[in-house]
Amino acid sequence: MSKVKPSPLLPDTVIGGYRVVRRLSAGGFGVVYLAVDASGQQVAIKEYLPSSLATRGTGELAPQVPPEKLSLYRLGLKSFFEEGRSLAQISHASVVSVLNFFRENETVYMVMNFLDGATLQDFIVTARDLKKAKVFRESTIRSLFDEILRGLRVVHQHKMLHLDIKPANIFVTEDDRAVMIDFGAAREVLSKEGNFIRPMYTPGFAAPEMYRRDSSMGPWTDIYAIGACMYACMHGYPPNDAPQRIEKDRLGLSLSRLRGVYSDDLIEVVEWCMSLDPLSRPQSVFALQKELSREGERRYTKLSVGEKMRLSLDNMRSYEKKSLPKAVAPTTRPA
Amino acid sequence: MKFSVFQVSRKGGRVKNEDRMGYCYTRESGLFVLADGMGGHPEGEVAAQLALQTIAALYQREARPTLKDVKTFLASSVMAAHQQIMRYASNKAMLDTPRTTVVAAVLQGNTATWIHCGDSRLYVVREGQLLMRTRDHSHAERPRPNATSEPVNRNLLLTCLGSPSTPLFEVSAPLTLQQGDRLMLCSDGLWGVMDDLLLVRSLSTGKVSDAAPELVEMALRRGGPTGDNVTMIAIEWQTPDVPGADAGVSTDSISDDVFASTIQAGMPADGEIDDLDDDAIERSIAEINEAIRRSAASRKS
Repeated sequence: MSKVKPSPLLPDTVIGGYRVVRRLSAGGFGVVYLAVDASGQQVAIKEYLPSSLATRGTGELAPQVPPEKLSLYRLGLKSFFEEGRSLAQISHASVVSVLNFFRENETVYMVMNFLDGATLQDFIVTARDLKKAKVFRESTIRSLFDEILRGLRVVHQHKMLHLDIKPANIFVTEDDRAVMIDFGAAREVLSKEGNFIRPMYTPGFAAPEMYRRDSSMGPWTDIYAIGACMYACMHGYPPNDAPQRIEKDRLGLSLSRLRGVYSDDLIEVVEWCMSLDPLSRPQSVFALQKELSREGERRYTKLSVGEKMRLSLDNMRSYEKKSLPKAVAPTTRPA
Repeated sequence: MKFSVFQVSRKGGRVKNEDRMGYCYTRESGLFVLADGMGGHPEGEVAAQLALQTIAALYQREARPTLKDVKTFLASSVMAAHQQIMRYASNKAMLDTPRTTVVAAVLQGNTATWIHCGDSRLYVVREGQLLMRTRDHSHAERPRPNATSEPVNRNLLLTCLGSPSTPLFEVSAPLTLQQGDRLMLCSDGLWGVMDDLLLVRSLSTGKVSDAAPELVEMALRRGGPTGDNVTMIAIEWQTPDVPGADAGVSTDSISDDVFASTIQAGMPADGEIDDLDDDAIERSIAEINEAIRRSAASRKS
């Protein structure tokens, strides 16, 4: 069944005193616009517009919700409120801040800081295309994730999980701050079965328990994603997704290719974060921060000539096979 | 629709009983709910009571005489119960929120569908054998890739209603019932003191109205002088009409608009159901904006 996506608001539409400039992004739960307020200040506005439940014609304002989908629409609205409520309580430089929340056009809008810069995903793609041995320097990775983890710690302190941490949801601003965005997945905690709104996850970054959608999710679920993000910063590509890893785990092998390039300590941290067993991961952000910030000489394992040969052969072979995996990991819903 | 039902709740060795249970039915549908208010947090019995009342009130509103979509009903009514508890705590400006587990089953047509959050369980017994039971949301029953037998604290729950983090819950697939199937909803005061084998055997021995109280007595004995509250609802589906069998409940004889319930409304916050009407939406928006103002103020100071 092909489904027509609801149309975004047109540029120059005025909502809640803000003027829409353009659409920034669209997800399953809504659309994000760049807009300006009365004083000309730029903001990002997220509109609640679940594409599976609502329709809207081009140029129209109010979304149409068929009566049989109204209860799910309302249920989703509650999640949208939950996201707003949680973000409103968090005031941290590394977490996107909410400025306003209002109702118009028979739906609701969340006004957030507009961030100027690019996502970590954009940076990874740019850096990767330079084809150097290192995608990012180790010190860059360490300080970037130190910042992100400070924010994530506050998120977890507020009894909230992000549940969709990935390079595309980490924003690096022009003034060099790392900010976590899109907490939309955080609250979509509904049933595994039936016709409910399904939670979103991103292959490669989603921990195994995200696929099961059971109750074993916790801080360690976000920590898996952090490990996967670090992996992407080192390799330039997302790791294999969890189901693939459960079938045949090549994580150790692919990390061993980074030996000598990055310190053993950093590689071990990634491996720790990405343990398939949730209990084997750092159980809290604090535990991870402690490990990541440990002072001392970094250990590097030099590769033998034989190992280097094997690695470069491996690399050649895997490039032939895959001919460059997709750069951007799409957010998908489980089938 | 015809079933026998037996429910009982006992305080055990505790000071108060924080378990709540009840059922209600229309001509063509039945709802069974059990909630175990949690210790370690204030007013567990209020959380359990609110959960029951909210789910029952929504059921009464929507079961006319059947629920259109059982799964959606279960999911949304449990979420509504959670929000009622949060609202109660916020109205009373409580520092910690009351919390409860919940398990609820809907029997409709010839199927049973259930939902649970926490460690209150539902068992299905067919021909003396355990057909299935819910898996607790506890560290003990948390699925792990490399299952080890290391001891874990079974009292540590991963989720419940009334916690600041949104509850996790599971809705079952509809199960087609056969005549004589027995369903039991129970609190951990019952399942915690005996293994499933004994539990299933006791539940399937004799008439439900004998087996159920016997099972509860056994749990109380095993729980000892400091034992937990023991609560259960046992249901037998389509009890056959034989002399000496329990009379049971036959919903066929009641008229279309009758609603029967053992769940009493009107304890704390009187049955105001959050279906997110215009007022509720406005209230949520006002609350969020208030939180934004507070965070902004604390950032400046």
